[in-house]
Parts: sequence; C-alpha cells; structure tokens
Amino acid sequence: MNFPLLLLFVFGVLLALLLAWVLSDPRKFTMPGGDLSSTEDMDRRHVTYFPQVRQTMAAQDFVFLASRGSRALTRRVRKERRKIALAYVACLRSDFLKSWRLARVIASMSPQLGVSQELERFRLGLAFSWRYEMIRIKILFGFAPLPELGSLSDVVSRLSIRLETAMNDLGERAALAAKLASSLHGRGLDTP
Amino acid sequence: MSSLPLYVLLFWACSALAQLSVLARLLSNGNFRKLPLFTAYVGLNLCQVAFLAVVYSIWGINSDTTYKLAWYSECAALLAGALATTEILSVTLRQYQGIWGLVWRTLTFTSTLVVLLVALAARGHWATAKWFELNRGYHLTFAAAVIACLLVVRYYSIQVPVALKMILGGFCLYSCTEILINTVLQSLLKRAFYAYQPIWQSSTMLSFIVVQIIWVAALWNPLRVEARPSAPSSDSIYKRLSPEINERLRELNEKLLRLWKLEARPQ
Repeated sequence: MNFPLLLLFVFGVLLALLLAWVLSDPRKFTMPGGDLSSTEDMDRRHVTYFPQVRQTMAAQDFVFLASRGSRALTRRVRKERRKIALAYVACLRSDFLKSWRLARVIASMSPQLGVSQELERFRLGLAFSWRYEMIRIKILFGFAPLPELGSLSDVVSRLSIRLETAMNDLGERAALAAKLASSLHGRGLDTP
Repeated sequence: MSSLPLYVLLFWACSALAQLSVLARLLSNGNFRKLPLFTAYVGLNLCQVAFLAVVYSIWGINSDTTYKLAWYSECAALLAGALATTEILSVTLRQYQGIWGLVWRTLTFTSTLVVLLVALAARGHWATAKWFELNRGYHLTFAAAVIACLLVVRYYSIQVPVALKMILGGFCLYSCTEILINTVLQSLLKRAFYAYQPIWQSSTMLSFIVVQIIWVAALWNPLRVEARPSAPSSDSIYKRLSPEINERLRELNEKLLRLWKLEARPQ
C-alpha cells in the first residue's frame, strides 16, 4: 500500500471512530452534579477553602516537618495535601465546564452567532483544558503550581465576562422583540 | 446478469428488498411528508437497481457502456443522497437559526478542504482510476462534512431525534465503509480489476444492506420532530435562564477575584 492510500485508509478509520463517538450518548460523559442549584453551594465551598489549598502547596510546612525528623509523616502529609489540591483543581474545572456549557446554551438560543466569538470561546475551552492537565501533572509530580493556577483562573474570568456580555446582548434583543410585538399588536387593535 | 456470481445476485436481491422495506416504512408512517427528499433518494435507489438490471442484461457486465452507465447512475444516487442529508440536517436545526448558519459554514469549509486534499492525493494517477477516485473523494467529503456538522451539533448540546441520528449515522457509515473498501481493494488487487469486481460489489452491497436495516429500524415509528418556540430571544426559556445564569456568573467572578487577590498578596 503506497503512502497516499495508507493516508486515505487511516483517514477512513479515523472518520469511522469519530462517527461512533459523535453518535454516542453525550450524557454518558457528563460529570456528576451538573445542575445549577447544587453548584452554588459548591462554589462557596471552593472559595472558603482556597487559603487552605494554597497552604497545601507551601513548602514551609514540609521543611518544618522534615526538620523535626519525621520523614514518614512528611510523606503522608504531602500525599494527602496533593490529593486536596487535585480535588480543588478538579472542582475549578467543573465550574468552568458548567459555565462553558451555559454559554453554549445561550449561543444555541441566539438567532445569530458571531463566528469569531464562538471560535474564541472554543479556544478558551481548549486553553483551559490544556492548563488544567498541566497543573494536574505538576501537582501529581509534587511541584507547587501557583502561577499556573493564576492563569487558569484568568481563563475562567475571561469566559465569565464574555458570558455576561452575551447575556446582556440577548436581553437587549428580547426587549426589542417584545417592544416590536407589542407595537404591532397595538396597531392591530386600534384599526377600526 | 447471468455472468454475475450467485452470491452477488443474492446480495443484490437482499439490497432491493431492504430498500423496498425502507420505502414502505416511509410511506406507511407518513414520514415521507416530513422527509420528501430522503424518500425521493430511497425511490431513486430502487430505480437504480431496476436500471442496472436492464443495463446488465442488454450490454453484459464487462462492457464499457455498462461501466459508464452504472457510474452515471451512481452519480445521480450520490447527489440525491447529499440532498437528503442536507434535508435531515435542516429539519434538525431549523429551530436553531444561529447554529444552522454556523453548520452551513462548517459544511462549506470542510467540503472545500477535503475536496482539495482528495485532488492532491489523486494527482498523477487520475486517468487510470477516475471513477474510483471520484467515488472515494465524494464519500470522503461527504463523511467529513456530515461528521463535522454532527460535532457542531454535539458541541452545542442540541438534541437530535434518535431516528434522524440513525439516518445520518447510516449515511456516514456507508461512506466510511466505501472509503475503506475502495482503498483496501484498490491497493491489494489493483492489477486485476475484473477479478475483484464481485468482491467489491458484494462488500459494498453488504454495507449498504446494513445501512438499510438501520434505516428501517429508525423509521419504524412515525418521526417526531419537536417544535421549539420560534422567538428564542423573548421566550420563556430565556427569561427563566437569564437571571439564574447572571447570578451564577457573578458568583464565579467574585470567586475568581478573590482567588486572584489571594494569589497576588505576598506570602
């Protein structure tokens, strides 16, 4: 089999795999706790625990424990704190995914979509996923990734601003549509 | 006709029977009103079977005239298939004007890109296997474009009715198997085209029969295409969601602001 044919074959297999994935039930891949009401409390908890999460990444505690000579305890504490940090980052990701999904719902309701805006949001999602994986790997290998956490939160913040703008835009359109409908309706009533 | 092997004739009969079943389901359920182009496509496929039977019996299976006429009829069937697919996508997405606009752009972009890639891959040996290249090129373009559209639909969490999903999946499955069959057979047996013609015919017909069975299952019940409120910016869904999302985002912003401040503070 020559190279172009091999390429075509691989492309065909990839298309078949992609087809199987795209036709599968998306609910199988959704994360638990996706409803809005349950996430409100979770967010509050994330905020409350951030100083502790930051503390889990601080080196001073480990230096102190190591100076006391308890190596086993240091290892145990490090392991447990790593778990906590991982759970926190996972929650942050969950927040992002929920907002991202909401943004898509808003977009699907809108009668007109800005391609550049949609692409920008898609790019934000990819960037977030990439950073999330990098931070996760760093935590797993025992580094303290505070600067990366900052950039991650920056992405979430930008997405929120974009969502707010989109919502305002939709709100204005809704008001305009309602105004138009009521004026047309009114004109019909006034006509003898 | 008699020069065709018995198993190919058997596959042919099964394929015709399966297509008749699909047409019967479309007509008996009233689904033909919702999907007129798809119904026309199934009808055209049946006409193609009859046309090929006549052509094979007059000119024989190995004549150049048969070869050309068979491929011309295939072109018409493929064109009808593309129109039927566009109809199904439009039925699915007509409520979502914005998404439909995006899907149209995706279709155009993906199709152009794949056509260019196919033309590039076929460069050099275009004259020797023109029809195979064209057929495979079409299926590559078609499958890539429809899968790209399905990806957009999935990305925006749009609920596609199961029956329509199965029909679209059937179209794509057939295209994918055509790409693989054409590529593998062309590379393995390219020196003896007439020797592998029955294998090619039976394998493509087998995949087509599988697709027809999927379509019969999809059309077993009348199609239910759910109607969404047509004024999305002023409907009740928006009014209900809007304050909830705003509140949610405000909290998210506050959370991130706090995160940022905590981080900016010197340790």
